[in-house]
Amino acid sequence: MRTRRKKKSNRLKWIRFRIIVVGAVLGVWFVLMMGRAFQLQVLEGKQLRSRAADQYKKDFHNSSKRGTIYDRNYAEVAVSIDVASICAHPGQICSKEQTASALARALNLGQKSLLKKLLSDKSFVWIKRHADPTEVSRVRELKLDGIDFVTESRRFYPMKSLAAQVIGFCGTDGRGLEGLEFYYDSFLKGRESSLTVLRDALGRGFTAKGPYPEGKPGYNLILTIDKNIQYIAEAALAEGVMEFGAKSGMALVIAPRTGAILAVAHVPRFNPNAFGQYEPWLWRNRAITDSFEPGSTLKIFLGAAALESGLCKPGSEFYCEEGVYRVGKNFVHDIRPHAALSLQDILKYSSNIGAAKVGEKVGSAYLYLKLKEFGLGDRLGVECPGETQGSLSPVGGWSEIDAVAICFGQGVSVSALQLAAAVSAIANDGLLMKPFLVQGMTDVHGGVVKSFQPTALRQVISSENAWRLTRMMERAVEKGGTGVRAALGGYRVAGKTGTAQKADPTGGGYAEDKYIASFVGFVPAENPEIVVLVVIDEPKKHHFGGVVAAPVFRRIIRETLRYLKVPPELATPEYTDLGRDSPGTNRREDHRRAGESLRVSCEAPTMG
Amino acid sequence: MVFILWIALMVFLMAELLVYTWCRVQYVRTGYEVTEATEEHERLMELHRKLQVEGARLRSPERVTRIARQRGLVMPDSKQVVVIP
Repeated sequence: MRTRRKKKSNRLKWIRFRIIVVGAVLGVWFVLMMGRAFQLQVLEGKQLRSRAADQYKKDFHNSSKRGTIYDRNYAEVAVSIDVASICAHPGQICSKEQTASALARALNLGQKSLLKKLLSDKSFVWIKRHADPTEVSRVRELKLDGIDFVTESRRFYPMKSLAAQVIGFCGTDGRGLEGLEFYYDSFLKGRESSLTVLRDALGRGFTAKGPYPEGKPGYNLILTIDKNIQYIAEAALAEGVMEFGAKSGMALVIAPRTGAILAVAHVPRFNPNAFGQYEPWLWRNRAITDSFEPGSTLKIFLGAAALESGLCKPGSEFYCEEGVYRVGKNFVHDIRPHAALSLQDILKYSSNIGAAKVGEKVGSAYLYLKLKEFGLGDRLGVECPGETQGSLSPVGGWSEIDAVAICFGQGVSVSALQLAAAVSAIANDGLLMKPFLVQGMTDVHGGVVKSFQPTALRQVISSENAWRLTRMMERAVEKGGTGVRAALGGYRVAGKTGTAQKADPTGGGYAEDKYIASFVGFVPAENPEIVVLVVIDEPKKHHFGGVVAAPVFRRIIRETLRYLKVPPELATPEYTDLGRDSPGTNRREDHRRAGESLRVSCEAPTMG
Repeated sequence: MVFILWIALMVFLMAELLVYTWCRVQYVRTGYEVTEATEEHERLMELHRKLQVEGARLRSPERVTRIARQRGLVMPDSKQVVVIP
């Protein structure tokens, strides 16, 4: 009985012992589990949640769509489109030689350079950015391991070289590098957008929060440029530059009442879709960034100063020294000697000696003041990177010959824009307007974000004197004037020729055989719609502005007025009969008449 | 009576479970449809953009002038322009 009780007691102890052991093991296990759970949930929870999310969430970072640039009639001149870029993850490629060989054939690239990229230690390399759709499909068909495709936005210029220097271009990363693309980059590029997508086990996208959850597409720019007027100016300028074997040319068309720039043409041109193939100097908007000596076109502002000073009238006469005028140790020449010329004839025949005499009467200080008021020597604040202020020395620094030379546009330099804007002031009753290239910005839905209104800078001369000066400029386009080849049948044209010697880059003074030929004017003279400036650099066959630049001016105004539907004035003055609408029909006669007019002109600035 | 109530409760719970599952399935399916529609919308927008670019290229003054010249069109001179007052 005692033995049985003892056995039972031992069994219970054993059971208790086993329970305690199992309980202890389970307890330790539970503590370990809780510890692990604490480690996973609390200590490493944030990191692990993030790793888990990485497997089913994917963040897409899209550079926002760059805004479109439109001309004034909402024609697209710069747009962004999606294109595929081909990239590689070298670590995932097994046979790098074979992959490089296949890619080289498909993309027409060098096999060695491709292999070098694939052998690099980097985890990601670009194979070809902004590839053509055909190239992309060829590479897709190869189904190569480690080769991937990334959608990127690419800037495209559908008008190719049209207004290329004004619009500029973007680099491969979508940043503006030149022109308005550079100047307005912060507005055009917008903000980067990020998009979170949940993926299932097959990698398919499941939900998205919308196309632009955080980012914002760039604003669109509406220019004042008119693509048709721009084309007219570029085509006419290219023809003129080619005809006279010139180095380059510029043409500007401005609406004088508002200061809106309708066209800025440059020759040679470049295609912004492949800007790398052109020399960098062709990228610049030279009409705004470069300055040149204006030559006789500056006599317009001398005439304005003379009238505004009250010391001269259009009929005031000046003795022109029979063709040679001594200023200190220097001599000023006219091509054809004149005894006396009125102020209006000094402009008509472009007499340098006459201009010098007018300058002496007006006084350097007053002339300097008026030139500054016309905007010469100061930046106009147009929307273009690198705008030049030109060169107009303070009047205190003018020597005796400087004071004379400035009267006929030597020893002073201006940008094409400054010159055109200053002439616009005369066409606008003496009121100088700030020239502008962008008339507004819109958002992606077309809502107006900002609009730029015409800005009046200052009244430079009275409207009466502007009217008198217009009449004087009309005479320069009449029979016998230097600008006769700018005359256009049916319209009254006011203008002025310019022929300036270029500074000799090898030494002091002026080069004997390098000229800048120019013509600036506006039409219709009675109620000006457009101001046009044509500048042709280093023409070879002829160098007078009246021969080289005036016909280009005429073609631009003829086609632009027709495009703008400006009707011919009903009472056509007789002198404009010299300008016919079909220059090709009797070109020889045109040349003969222009030659005659030049023989009686005194335009070329020759300094002794 | 209690048995019937239990059966009804079970049926209700089963039905709720089925409806919930159906809702989840519909939610997932609609999610896929929304994603596909978004992608299609993006694709069509891009196509629209490319067609606009193509349109702009085709309307470029240089091309229009070249075609006009090929067809013998010329700029009218002032005598051919009639102004209607």
